[in-house]
Amino acid sequence: MTEATMTAKERVLRTLKGEKVTPVPCFSGVGNVTTKGLEKLGYRFADLHNDAQKMAEAAMTSWELFGYECVVIPFDLCLEAEALGCVMNPYAETEELLYPTIKEKSKLTTEQLRAAATPELLKKGRIPLVIEAARIVREKVGDQVAIGSYVLGPFTLGGQINELEVILKGSLKKPEEMKEYLDALADVIILVGNHLLQNGIDYISVREMGATSDVLSPRVFKKVIFPALKKVADNMASPNILHICGSVLPVIDMMAECGYSALSIDSKTPMKEAREKTGEKTVILGNFNPFATLNTGDAEGAYNVAAQCVRDGVNGVHPGCDIWPTAKPENLEAMMKAVRETSV
Amino acid sequence: MALDSAKKEELLKRLAQGVVEFEDDEVREAAQEWVDTGEDTYDAIFDGLVSGMEEVGKLFSAQEYFVPEMLMAADSLYIGLDILKPQMKPRDSGVKGAVVIGTVQGDVHDIGKNIVKMMFDVAGFNVYDLGRDVPLEDFLKKQLETNSDIVCLSAMMTTTMMGMPKVIEMIRAKNPNCKIMIGGAPITDDIVGKFGADATAKDASNALEEAVKMVVSLREIQKEANAKS
Repeated sequence: MTEATMTAKERVLRTLKGEKVTPVPCFSGVGNVTTKGLEKLGYRFADLHNDAQKMAEAAMTSWELFGYECVVIPFDLCLEAEALGCVMNPYAETEELLYPTIKEKSKLTTEQLRAAATPELLKKGRIPLVIEAARIVREKVGDQVAIGSYVLGPFTLGGQINELEVILKGSLKKPEEMKEYLDALADVIILVGNHLLQNGIDYISVREMGATSDVLSPRVFKKVIFPALKKVADNMASPNILHICGSVLPVIDMMAECGYSALSIDSKTPMKEAREKTGEKTVILGNFNPFATLNTGDAEGAYNVAAQCVRDGVNGVHPGCDIWPTAKPENLEAMMKAVRETSV
Repeated sequence: MALDSAKKEELLKRLAQGVVEFEDDEVREAAQEWVDTGEDTYDAIFDGLVSGMEEVGKLFSAQEYFVPEMLMAADSLYIGLDILKPQMKPRDSGVKGAVVIGTVQGDVHDIGKNIVKMMFDVAGFNVYDLGRDVPLEDFLKKQLETNSDIVCLSAMMTTTMMGMPKVIEMIRAKNPNCKIMIGGAPITDDIVGKFGADATAKDASNALEEAVKMVVSLREIQKEANAKS
């Protein structure tokens, strides 16, 4: 099959296997629904999270409207936390468009997490709903485009179900205890991630933004975070992407060593240095600031930013974070055009 | 026991070093020793605790310290502050004021906000902390209720910072003189201008440094005023 006839799904999955695809795919492992997409459907953002049909339809809009090469569900970071007994706030009553947050933390202990990490967990919260949404998407798009989903990394999930301050201080004060805690969280993440990959999800991102080097020292990363992230990589099916935003240059060698199919970095980590530190074989996705590029900037700027990512040697053009819904359609179009037109 | 200059130097050093190394017990003991002399604790707070926090800010900028280290230093500072503050003599010329602070709705990150809050606490402001995930209109309500001089809005995420201009507009409409500071990872000088806010700091280390600078400059103003009177 020639590259010209490859589907978006093949382009993304081959990239995640380490094959060179030209032009590189332009896709995301995290949220990318736009206001334009929501308007087309007549849905409010807050209504998508608890409705498999709406979630599926909304998730497909960036693919349908802009040829963005993925469909990613869900749109919030609460899936595993909810299954672990936390309560999500979808901000249904709020006029502003907001991402859901956890309003009540279950504060499960290491022992409670170990007890919770059984297949029973997979029936809880909205895990079945996301799998139903994946089924609806697949029915519509077939094998044209890959369906992505995500889980949180152990440290970030710890901060969702427990007080972040406790987790942060614990990583320094009681590293052995915290390692155990993250190890237990890793089991939950592996369970959920594998379940998603077995039930219609084509690739999964592990979002560990809490452990960025803007927040944690490389020493703590190595001692406390790395073992849990490696455990996830060793035990979760592929393809999987490790996503950490902020500046990660001091730890990117460890990120690569974990063994994920790909790494995803944002604009605060310079691509050339990241490549130097990880070598040619590491699949790196990145590395633009979605808000500055797609929301506040103009089309020409978006074109240039995306083209620069390609020239800097990314294996896939990928945003550093969720695409915020009010992204300008013309900027998304310019980004797609730049990626098609730019070669290394 | 009186506080001679050698003892004073020793205690200041222990307070500052205790904060830098997050030695809670050291800070607690040094603060207590100071209080036991019956002396004014003003210098202990500013030349001891704040000076230690200033060093923490430098270490953070140099990427020797990170957020957990900063949080632990802040805990040590508060241990000292709780002991020292009740014995600080009121200063007529001091900058008095009230500040309303909180993280905007949709955002549950409050660590940066708490660091900035700490420096307002140190500087002697009345701090009204609304916490995190604060409905936008609550900032206005609290500002009107307290007639605060400053409102500080925090957001960790680009997605939640969009609530800020709405709060700023609401407050400006009712009270144009109120100073509005915004902060958090996605905030840049450009955003400050666009949103119509008064000030920000570039990042977490800058937020701490800016807040320390603010406290230090307040101290200078006080010293000058004291010298004149």
